[in-house]
Amino acid sequence: MGKLDDESAAMIARVLRALTLALTFIALVPSLSDAHVGSPDVVFDGKAGTYDVRVIVRVPSVVPGLADVTVRVLRGDERRVLIRPVFWRAGVAGAPSADVATPVHGASKLYSGQLWLMARGAYSVYVTVEGAEGSGTVAVPVVSVATGRLGMSTGLGLLLAALGGLLLAGLITLVYAGAGESVVEPGTTIDPPTRRRARLMTIVAAPLLAMALLGGAKWWQSVDATYQTRMYHPLATRASIAREAGRPVLRFAVVDRNGRDLQLDPLVPDHGKLMHLFLIDSATLNGFAHLHPVYTGAFYSPLPPLAPGTYRLFGDITFETGLTNTLAGNLQLTREDSLLAASSTPGDPDDAWINASGAKRIDRIATVDTLADGSTMEWRSDSAKIRAGDETTLRFRVRDPSGTVARLEPYLGMNAHAVIVRDDGSVFVHLHPAGTVSLTAQRVFALRDRGDTTTRGRLKLGADTMQNAMPMAGEFSFPYIFPRSGSYRIWVQVRRDGRVVTGVFDVVV
Amino acid sequence: MTIALDSIREAASIRESAIVATDAWHARAVVFAAACVMIGVYWDISWHMTIGRDTFWTPAHLLIQAGGLIAGLSSGYVALRNTFVGTGAQREASVGFWGFRAPLGAWVCVWGCGAMVLSAPFDNWWHNAYGLDVQIISPPHMILALGIVAITVGALLLTLARQNQTTGTEQKQFATLFTIAAAFWIMNVWVMLSEYSYKEFMHSGLFYRVAATYYPLVLLTTARANTLRWPATKASAVYMGLTLALMWTLQAFPAEPKLGPIYQRITHMVTMDFPVLMVVPAFGLDVVRQRLHGRVRDLWLAPLLALTFVALFLAVEWPFASFLITTHSRNWFFNGANYVYFMTNQFAARTFSFADWEPWSRPLAPQLAFAALLATISSYVGLKWGSWMTKVRR
Ligand SMILES: [Cu+2]
Repeated sequence: MGKLDDESAAMIARVLRALTLALTFIALVPSLSDAHVGSPDVVFDGKAGTYDVRVIVRVPSVVPGLADVTVRVLRGDERRVLIRPVFWRAGVAGAPSADVATPVHGASKLYSGQLWLMARGAYSVYVTVEGAEGSGTVAVPVVSVATGRLGMSTGLGLLLAALGGLLLAGLITLVYAGAGESVVEPGTTIDPPTRRRARLMTIVAAPLLAMALLGGAKWWQSVDATYQTRMYHPLATRASIAREAGRPVLRFAVVDRNGRDLQLDPLVPDHGKLMHLFLIDSATLNGFAHLHPVYTGAFYSPLPPLAPGTYRLFGDITFETGLTNTLAGNLQLTREDSLLAASSTPGDPDDAWINASGAKRIDRIATVDTLADGSTMEWRSDSAKIRAGDETTLRFRVRDPSGTVARLEPYLGMNAHAVIVRDDGSVFVHLHPAGTVSLTAQRVFALRDRGDTTTRGRLKLGADTMQNAMPMAGEFSFPYIFPRSGSYRIWVQVRRDGRVVTGVFDVVV
Repeated sequence: MTIALDSIREAASIRESAIVATDAWHARAVVFAAACVMIGVYWDISWHMTIGRDTFWTPAHLLIQAGGLIAGLSSGYVALRNTFVGTGAQREASVGFWGFRAPLGAWVCVWGCGAMVLSAPFDNWWHNAYGLDVQIISPPHMILALGIVAITVGALLLTLARQNQTTGTEQKQFATLFTIAAAFWIMNVWVMLSEYSYKEFMHSGLFYRVAATYYPLVLLTTARANTLRWPATKASAVYMGLTLALMWTLQAFPAEPKLGPIYQRITHMVTMDFPVLMVVPAFGLDVVRQRLHGRVRDLWLAPLLALTFVALFLAVEWPFASFLITTHSRNWFFNGANYVYFMTNQFAARTFSFADWEPWSRPLAPQLAFAALLATISSYVGLKWGSWMTKVRR
């Protein structure tokens, strides 16, 4: 029978009135997407009011699904912690009342809870800490998309098949008993014609029931197929090099199934840029560039002087819904492009690149990389081995050539940026000291709840809103969860004396 | 006058059995179990419409599970007793099932309980695999629904056996219980068809087509086996009364959504729609069936009943829908504004006009003709199934 659909709203069991109607609206939903690549867990370090907190949101792979939220109060005297899921379209007014997170047994100042993410799209987990210093709330943006579906374990499959078989056999027996013995007067034995009729009915019923069962299986398959089409699929892209006045220009576009350019839904700048585009040499991981293309139907940026080779492209964008996405692509860089690029000027003053091999890290021991301006960047030892799936804090310290801890200038509004890539390109994440979240997405949620949106939903986010001229400490850290084991490379970018320098580190998780 | 006589004649055609071997307590227990299940189902749907978040341990779920267990365990007990320590009469009033003996109704209940049990891990897996579900009609829910139907049919068979084996007040009592069980079956079908039965759909042929496919079968199956007069009308009245009582009662309880996004402000339990006005077409079926009883073969009776059903169902639902779609139905009595929390205002606005998109926009006349054909098949199967039920002796 009917296979109906959700979308916009959340939902549960029934009332398909809304859902049936929703079918007609699905086409209006912006392209749903995933932030980062292969690194779904959200880690946030920041302040809820006066309290320092680390929030980790492990998002479900299905929608609607349950997100696991943990909140660690790093500083402050909290009494209790509340968590609440806020969907972009409905805002705080349309969010269910907050849940009290429960203290984790055996751990102090650690709280956990589960939240239902019911709809696809941009969510924010609002974390409120109440305690001696009053109450403070922070929004942690989360992207809710269906990225997978659960397989069935052999055990459960066998159990269900066995029980199902039993039910089918039972049903056939019911037909036999119903057509035969049940219509015989108590006390009399079943006569041959009745018995024959019962057998005939059973012979007729058995294949009908089997067919019904097959129909059910087919229905299940179609539900499964529909689900898969609605799962998150990365947007298709095309990267190419064009020549403008003899200079190579990188063109990066989202394309449809037929390879034609697709226009994106309205974007908002993150750290003042519509896109943060990273080029990474897929063979050696030595070539690395952090660019900020302009968007005119496609993303354009002058090509930086990278070595020839095959590059992976990762472009972080934020939609005005607060949804973040990473566009992934590939680019072949020829020797000629590379040579011509050497004489081109950067498109954006915040662009930076490096052609260097990484410093190997051995667990628990600090690793030092010498930066282009003669300063050093030290990856400081942390107490534990880094394990996949566990939260870690990557701590760094920059010293100037004289050995004292450096003062840093803000780079894109922050003291440091990090990019982590698994050597096969299957994991990509762009980190800040605040974690994996997009600060713009956070601001979008805050603005929306203040009612700063127009009817068109356009948010007025100035390009300079994130700028901060204050000098920043040469010590910083990034919270992160490595999604799975493997070899990773980490690029850490800071600005010193007006110049962006990049430290490169390798680690096996 | 003739109607009354005919119905008495029809009731008399149900042969009486000499042996009273079906347990009265068991028949009552299974009707009670079916009541638990159906009230639980309604409550659970209302819970999902209002609060959203649920666990296995919601009261509605417990009521459904309790109903399944009462039906399954009492029937299992009867089977074990009849098989191992049963009296001769008890054993003789039983049918064999894989070496065990119990009345057919007990076996149907055991099967229904089994289907309900199977649906639980399947449904749980389904939610984990595809997300918390958003639909009544999904494979695991269909298995659950089949289990519930089985318990209702088990209740019908057991009360029927008791009705046919007794006389006087006791017969009347079990005929009444049978009528109530029939009402649960109608309600079950109504719940399963609710996705096709919103007021916005009630001027579309598809609504009538779907109704014509399922309701005549239930009404006629139960009517033919009932010894009471006006059986379909009475069962329909019980169905309407029960669903209205639940609708009005639940609405009085404060509740708020625990899931978001929330687009509608909700302060009290939201419930299912106003029930369909089943008493009118059911009355028509009773009149035709009672007048023509014994004069017309089922093959000719079925199309007459089908036309009666479709005509009367259309005659009452069409104008009633015209009323429901207006603002005048948006009150507690008609429950026309039972918006769920996840319904956006654009969707809510659309409940003020009849659906004009596929499949609801199909031309009415061919759909109605198709409905009449489906109702004929449904009626015929119902008549035959009802005839068989009257013959069940064990
Ligand atoms: Cu950045």
